[in-house]
Amino acid sequence: MVTVTLRNIVKARNGFRLKIDELIVENGEFLTLLGPSGCGKTTTLRMIAGFERPDRGEILFDGRPVNDLPPYERNIGIVFQDYALFPHMTVFKNVAFGLEMKGLPKSEIERKVRWALEIVGLTGLENRYPEQLSGGQQQRVALARALVVEPEVLLLDEPLSNLDAKIRERLRGEIRRIQRELGITTIYVTHDQEEAMAISDRIAVMNVGRVEQVGKPLELYYRPETEFVARFLGLSNILELEAENGRACLNELCFDVGRSGRVRIFFRPESVYIMKGDTAEVLDYELLPGRIRLKLGIGDRVILAERFLDELPFSVEEMPERVDVRVRSFSVLGQ
Amino acid sequence: MKLGRGYLILTVPLAFLVIFFYVPLVSIIKTGLWEDGFTLRYIASVIQNDYHRRVILFTIAQALGSTLLTVALGLPGAYLFAKYDFPGKRVIRAVLTVPFVMPSVMVALGYILLFGKSGIVTDLIGRDPGILYSWKGILLAHAFYNFPIVIRMVSSLWQRVNPHYEEAALSLGARGFSLFWRVTLPLISPAIFASAMLTFVFSFLSFSIPLIIGGYRYATIEVDIFTAIMTLLDFKTGSALAIIQILLSMAFMYAYLRSLDAYARREEQRVFRKPIPFRRGDWLSLRGLATALYSLIVFIFIVSPLLAVIYDSLRFNGHWSLEWYRRIFSTEYNPMFGLTTLDAIRNSLLFGLATVVLSITVALPIAYALHRWDFRGKRLFDILAMLPLASSPITLGLGYIKTFHGTPLYYTAWIIVAAHTVIAYPFVLRAVSTGLKKIKPNIFEAALSLGAREWKAFLRVELPLVLGSLVVGAIFAFAMSIAELGATYMLAKPEYTTMSVAIYKFLGARQFGSASALSVLLMAVSTAGFLIIERIGEEVW
Repeated sequence: MVTVTLRNIVKARNGFRLKIDELIVENGEFLTLLGPSGCGKTTTLRMIAGFERPDRGEILFDGRPVNDLPPYERNIGIVFQDYALFPHMTVFKNVAFGLEMKGLPKSEIERKVRWALEIVGLTGLENRYPEQLSGGQQQRVALARALVVEPEVLLLDEPLSNLDAKIRERLRGEIRRIQRELGITTIYVTHDQEEAMAISDRIAVMNVGRVEQVGKPLELYYRPETEFVARFLGLSNILELEAENGRACLNELCFDVGRSGRVRIFFRPESVYIMKGDTAEVLDYELLPGRIRLKLGIGDRVILAERFLDELPFSVEEMPERVDVRVRSFSVLGQ
Repeated sequence: MKLGRGYLILTVPLAFLVIFFYVPLVSIIKTGLWEDGFTLRYIASVIQNDYHRRVILFTIAQALGSTLLTVALGLPGAYLFAKYDFPGKRVIRAVLTVPFVMPSVMVALGYILLFGKSGIVTDLIGRDPGILYSWKGILLAHAFYNFPIVIRMVSSLWQRVNPHYEEAALSLGARGFSLFWRVTLPLISPAIFASAMLTFVFSFLSFSIPLIIGGYRYATIEVDIFTAIMTLLDFKTGSALAIIQILLSMAFMYAYLRSLDAYARREEQRVFRKPIPFRRGDWLSLRGLATALYSLIVFIFIVSPLLAVIYDSLRFNGHWSLEWYRRIFSTEYNPMFGLTTLDAIRNSLLFGLATVVLSITVALPIAYALHRWDFRGKRLFDILAMLPLASSPITLGLGYIKTFHGTPLYYTAWIIVAAHTVIAYPFVLRAVSTGLKKIKPNIFEAALSLGAREWKAFLRVELPLVLGSLVVGAIFAFAMSIAELGATYMLAKPEYTTMSVAIYKFLGARQFGSASALSVLLMAVSTAGFLIIERIGEEVW
């Protein structure tokens, strides 16, 4: 297993510019590149795989530059969104392909293929062709094919986005389990923030060719540094306020920001607690399974609050016109 | 991928194209435009000559007429194929492949046997229908060859017209003809245009059909060049005509390739509408009757020349007999072409096989390079590689005579194989290129990521996946080689006479029985090819 380092990478294509100053994926870590389509996450993955070359900068595996190495000399495993299984080969042949390329003896190939198929739970389907498998099974074959060569880095390019929701959730748990068991350095590309939060050690959020922020899932969720990260990971309240003497206030709702001047304060709807009182007007509310999302007016601003139903100090049927709010945790966004 | 040292694989194909296509081409241009310096004298004298001018205009006019007839005949079929599932659809679809592999000498013979002075149709209706030795016969034969192309291309696109477009238009009040004219037609027009252009190019360059069923009055440029060289030994006029023909056909071919691009882009849509199944009662509706009638016409149109040939081969002096077959299989020396008929059969098969091998050798590396690599001048390279498609057998024959006459190569069979390869290889190239395009690029990348080098990924993954296309391309090459008449006739020494040439010589000597029997054998070989294509079922044009 290796540490993957991207340094001063620049890649321009069709008027789009990808620039990564530094991104380090630690040995054995599961890192997700998360961002909307067109943000450069797949291009980044393809550069690590060796399908594309950066215009400038270095890609290092354990400190060794790999820029000049073709994909077949990088010792990587990759799983594509559309699986890319060889349609003219059986499951066994697909998984054995990489081992045959290494010239391993037949008995060893057989042993390793069995091991890989067992890991992904496909024992018994060796002689099927890809078209005879379900989407989920095809994805498992693709995973086995990538893992069986014992790659130093596992690359996954939106591997679950062609599957339906239930299978997606189950497979993502399995990918995580297998990755932990094998301790393999893994880079995962997705545009689904929920998936990223559930599966990653760390997430790198990308936006129009830049890495906006790298961090642990909860860190990013509760302490985003930019508005983009805040909004991409979930519903957000962002208040732009004038702070005086280290405090920024919206009517009676005050935040200790520790500095003065214009600040942008961020907090999640679930950080907003509701009490009886009259500082905020209930503009509207929406019922979700077991929860309630309220739209509250304070002065000329609107904030969102989300609570479990049994946390409210009143029942929904007796929703008052005005309530009090308290924000338990917040962060100050950079400009 | 960048072009590395891999360009070495292009050495053989490029050398072949230069020696056997571009050098002969230049030699024709030199003959036609050079005499103690550059001169337009021969071009001018061709254009000023009434006969040649009429030939040029007729060539364009008959190509235009053939195209209109072909499209008119093909469009209803395209509609039926795209919209409906009807009993017999599979049979008709299979029958539509037949013309592609049927040699034109044989079809011309079929037309003679149907419409000639003592032809089957002539006997039936009691008078000469006036089709043979007129422009009508030429148009009909060209439609025979090309209307299946129209059906295939147009129906393939028609199926992909998302029904929502038409439903949206219906909901907005469009119906019947205005729905077709305003919505459907613009959506399928790239297919109509591309197939029409292809028909036009084929008809423009057609040789055997106008030669045999047009006669001298209805000669095309191709026939005119042939006569100038083979009968009048006038290489200057022949070359001038060839230059005019090349310029025109290059322009038409360019238009075709452009229209094909537009067609291919539309064809990438993955929408497929479900054909509406025919129920039993539907046959009694107007639509059902029209379908039945159309299927019948298609069937008769395609099968009748073939049946006429088979029938004639079995008739000897007014009764059923295998006499013609006995004669062509006898080991008697045939004074007309200086060897036994069996030798001609053997020649055809050997040239066909050699053409297949050589075509693949030339086409495969080029297809691969165009598919895999990006390099400067790629577009130009693509055009130069496809240019042989715009050349004609007669021009090629002329170029070979000018270039290779006197060299040892000229007296071997390889000169014929080379000509056949230049004619056939673009079809292999197209087939393989189309096949390669259908493979998802990720498949190749997956192989690389698993440690396969580029050539290994090609051999183990891509080649097996294009094998079907390659086989279809190879069969086309084989069928074109054994059907080829013009270049072979010009270049072949008597001992290299092929079946096509033998049939043409039998025709010239009015020995229809022998011609028919030999044609039936040719048909059998072609049918074998047809069956394999049906089996593999790849579309290549």
